[in-house]
Amino acid sequence: MMRDALVIGVQTVLLIVIAPAIVGYVRLMKARLQGRRGAAVVQPYRELRKTFRKGMVIADSASWIFHLAPFVIVGATVAAASLAPVISAAQPADLLGDLFVLAALLMLGTFFLALGGLDPGTAFGGMGSSREMTVAALTEPTIAIAVLTLALTTGSTSLGAIAGTVLKTPAYAIGPGHALAFAAFLIALIAETGRLPVDNPSTHLELTMIHEAMILEYSGPYLALIEWAAAVRLTLLLTLAANLFLPWGMATSLAPVALVAALLAIVVKLAILGLLLALLETRVAKLRLFRVPELLALSFTLALLAAASSFFTK
Amino acid sequence: MEAAFSRITMTAASAMLLLSLVVLWRRHAGAYITAFRTQSITLAVTGAIVAFYGTAPELFFVSFMILVVKGWIVPSVLSAMDAKRRSGRELHPLLNTETSLLVCGALAVAAYEISRPLAEVMNLATRGGLPIALALVFVSLFIVVSRRDVIAQIVGFLMLENGIALLALLGAYGVPLIVELGVFLDVLLGVLVMQAVVYQIHDTSAD
Repeated sequence: MMRDALVIGVQTVLLIVIAPAIVGYVRLMKARLQGRRGAAVVQPYRELRKTFRKGMVIADSASWIFHLAPFVIVGATVAAASLAPVISAAQPADLLGDLFVLAALLMLGTFFLALGGLDPGTAFGGMGSSREMTVAALTEPTIAIAVLTLALTTGSTSLGAIAGTVLKTPAYAIGPGHALAFAAFLIALIAETGRLPVDNPSTHLELTMIHEAMILEYSGPYLALIEWAAAVRLTLLLTLAANLFLPWGMATSLAPVALVAALLAIVVKLAILGLLLALLETRVAKLRLFRVPELLALSFTLALLAAASSFFTK
Repeated sequence: MEAAFSRITMTAASAMLLLSLVVLWRRHAGAYITAFRTQSITLAVTGAIVAFYGTAPELFFVSFMILVVKGWIVPSVLSAMDAKRRSGRELHPLLNTETSLLVCGALAVAAYEISRPLAEVMNLATRGGLPIALALVFVSLFIVVSRRDVIAQIVGFLMLENGIALLALLGAYGVPLIVELGVFLDVLLGVLVMQAVVYQIHDTSAD
């Protein structure tokens, strides 16, 4: 019992602690690809520390929802992060919730982010919330179906069990369902975390921005909490992409050697996925807002095909 | 061995299906031609895999022909065709992209449902790829029907041909060599005739 709690706790804390570093790493890689020197990987930590120390300016029209939203967002994101298998394929949190709980928790965070954007009654916040809801309504089902494909192949909806089964039978990983679901999941991940070509993470003042528009009214510690939660969300989804679809290197026992190897493996996998993300963001331009649903329809179709093919392979 | 063969062919077939979805998603003729070229190369690779695992050596020759005719000559002809007309503008389909993609998802599910009884009575290792090949045929047909641009229609037709070739490859380890050669000649001739007629079609039907 104690050991299970420890395994869950350590993995969750690990995800939360490395999240800003992942954001910093992607920014650094992007800067290097664009020929700039870029800030150090630890820059997001410095920014968070600075933002936490600042005072807050809160609109007069803001109600209690505005104050509640950052805590719900952080809570939901951390709860979702606690379900993910990070270094150990035997994840005791399987008992607490499966992929449906994960999707619901992510959606709860998105919902409160949108509420927080709407609450002060500014034009930008409302616009951002409306867009976020449009995108979220199309991406959440895609993520659920893509992971459901894995559940259909492996026979379990628990995240740890999925990773464990794929680890035991590598033949599952070269099937079409797996590849299609991975492609669908990656597109959904990009939309969900507000990266190019859906949203531009490095702008503050652009009419088409989504995430930044919603959090425009937040400042000080609240802003820091929301930014941290966004980083955890990115890291969580990248970890899921790495560990559910390519689980090799994960520890199957709790022996120290296996755990250290698994830690190295997840760091390498996150580094590769982060580099891919930076490459993609350097190569593509932002889509026009009205073409975003097309991209999401593509990823939904891919997920649907994946699910259909996994029924057939049985 | 058998399981790996089955999974590799299924993955290759899925890749071909994905490449046909590119035509629905992108809006430039150049992207269509690249998708078709990649799809033909994938088909050639699939042929080589079937030849290797299924011990059908004449399929190596067929794969090589596919690589030359559909992977190189036909795309070059198409590129030349595209370069000659006014291009660079976006091509708008009859049906918008989201609907097209969802229709294709439905078509793929229908293909799975239709070919399920067929695949159940077969005992070839490649039977898992059959529904995907059938889905490719359906989706290509849908491309021909729903696109307004001539290049997209030709690419759709050629992808339909690729789908039928894939169906033959996975369902029966290829058709007799003489039939295969006849089909190649057909495709080549078809594309050359289309190339000649395209400008007239374009002038009378466009705008």
